[in-house]
Amino acid sequence: MHRDKELQMKELSYWNAISEAIAEEMKRDETVFVIGENVQESPFLVTKGLVQQFGPDRVMDAPLSELAIAGATVGAAMAGYRPICDLTFADFIYCAADEVLMKAAQQYFSHNAKVNVPCVFMGVAGAGFGNGPEHSRIPAAMIMNNPGLKLVMPSTPYDAKGLMKAAIRDNNPVCFFFHKKCMPMKQEIPDEEYIIPLGVADVKRVGSDVTVVATSYMVHLALEAAKNLEDKISVEVIDLRSLVPLDIDAIINSVKKTGRVVVVDEDTECCGVAAEIGQQIMELAFDYLDAPVARVCAANMPIAGAAMEKYVIPQLAQVQNAIEAAAGSGAGA
Amino acid sequence: MKKLGKQDLLLMYRNLVRARKFDELNIRMATEGKLLTFYHSCQGHEAIGVGACTGLRKDDYLYPHHRGHALSYAIAKGMDPKDSIAEHLGRATGWGGGITGFHICVPEYGVLGVGGTIGSGFVLSAGFALAAKKRGAGQIAIMFTGDGGIQRGQFHEAANMASCWKLPVVWVVENNQMAWFTPYKDTSAVEDIATLAASYNMPGEIVDGMDVLAVHTAVQKAVERARNGEGPSLIECKTYRYRSHSEGRPDVSHYLPRSKEEIAAWKERDPVKLYEEKLLKEKVLTKELVKKISQEADSECEEAERFGLESPFPDPSILSKMVYAP
Repeated sequence: MHRDKELQMKELSYWNAISEAIAEEMKRDETVFVIGENVQESPFLVTKGLVQQFGPDRVMDAPLSELAIAGATVGAAMAGYRPICDLTFADFIYCAADEVLMKAAQQYFSHNAKVNVPCVFMGVAGAGFGNGPEHSRIPAAMIMNNPGLKLVMPSTPYDAKGLMKAAIRDNNPVCFFFHKKCMPMKQEIPDEEYIIPLGVADVKRVGSDVTVVATSYMVHLALEAAKNLEDKISVEVIDLRSLVPLDIDAIINSVKKTGRVVVVDEDTECCGVAAEIGQQIMELAFDYLDAPVARVCAANMPIAGAAMEKYVIPQLAQVQNAIEAAAGSGAGA
Repeated sequence: MKKLGKQDLLLMYRNLVRARKFDELNIRMATEGKLLTFYHSCQGHEAIGVGACTGLRKDDYLYPHHRGHALSYAIAKGMDPKDSIAEHLGRATGWGGGITGFHICVPEYGVLGVGGTIGSGFVLSAGFALAAKKRGAGQIAIMFTGDGGIQRGQFHEAANMASCWKLPVVWVVENNQMAWFTPYKDTSAVEDIATLAASYNMPGEIVDGMDVLAVHTAVQKAVERARNGEGPSLIECKTYRYRSHSEGRPDVSHYLPRSKEEIAAWKERDPVKLYEEKLLKEKVLTKELVKKISQEADSECEEAERFGLESPFPDPSILSKMVYAP
């Protein structure tokens, strides 16, 4: 749709796409409001300008109290509102774990599907700026391991806008993690309204030799690796866009075509996103595999800061090596 | 504040008796192995739920205490306790559909659900109150917790936020002086929880938790304050837990048996007995009426047990459909 030349287009950055989605939804639905620390000025710009448009009662600068912010989010959502909780850094979800993991995630199920919790927990996520272990994580596997939460990790401005709108309208708690490294990225996106449903992957590059599955900034690493290798390996890049719901069909369809797959994930390797996806591929498409499922993830250690960060977080060379190894190994090699 | 008429006074007595009898029923069923979950008796606490929840609006948000698994609060707000019994028996007719074990969820009476972690009610009730304030329809939120709940960070964060934003919420702390087996006095820096309220620029009041009318009066004052947009209040009800933390557990303080003399002294001021004596003295109650109310509560309990035991278990195929809302 976004490639349609007849549509009126405009260039938006990733952060601006998110703020535009929030503004559109706040205009459309009076029960939507934003709550978090510094949301009026917005250090990561995703809610900047909203207070001028909607006033301080709907763009609420909260105390430095993650439990109270997340708890008020859950309580207000249970009582009929659609709050957007800005955690600032996605890492800070750990501070609010009781409210997010035990209450938001489980409330609907554990009370007989009577009262749902429609809200968004958003935060800037990921490494790339050497910020150390408490400001650099995408806590993706932990969210996937807590049924009841959805998890969205967009890679482009177009996706970020359409997915944020879907997240706000969803009747469940949705974790929406946007990546620091994607913030300045720009893209032509349509003027007219669009929504991207959660759980629908996007093929960001078509290929036939190796499938690379990724989300968020890792999609860009995968695309760069694919381009660098294009003379010898045809790489298909699948951007999952949301990890919960997981578009496993898109992965399996691609694996059936290529027989080789590399899962790239920025979260910690152990019990991680790639482990889960790899297992599902083996359960659903083992007979189609020509090589073991490969993974490139963050090393099993805290995220180091400054110059040491790159020894923990997946790097381009690792992704390229994994693709080459997958292409050159196994039954079809 | 609305003055209580004779019928209101009698209803509170009836509800105290019902809360006590249903508590006894749960204890018996736990002993007989019928309960499919654990049980935290509310004996000694009944006046707080009944006194506080009498006179609330149906659409006021209620987050009850885990003692009695919400019995006294739900009964006083008008809910049917047989739905609680069915829930404890794991039946589909329970107020959580037999899914929750013991959690209550009756949205039509303002009970949106409760958590399993003590003290989380502070921040969730602040959220209910935030919604109530935004809606502007005069609703308030009321939340009950124990003295242990005050020791969690949620109390500080919610108190600071709710008082700053003048959220319409009333917090009732039932200080029975024990968190499981650990005495309040050995784990808290202040003797009276109500004194903490001053740090958050909100009223804090100490109330005799064995006196249903004293609880009612204090809570109604705080409710009015909340409805008027003046913000939260903290009410500390001094009370006592007659039994152990939950059925089948040792009744100890730290690791030594609790003082029998102390338990007996508190039972002298039993909330049901105190109120009964008062109403008899004021001739609101008669001996005959006491007997009649007791018999009616017994029949209600019998009927609730029968209803629960005859109800079907939930269909397990629904579980996978309940993880996400459509």
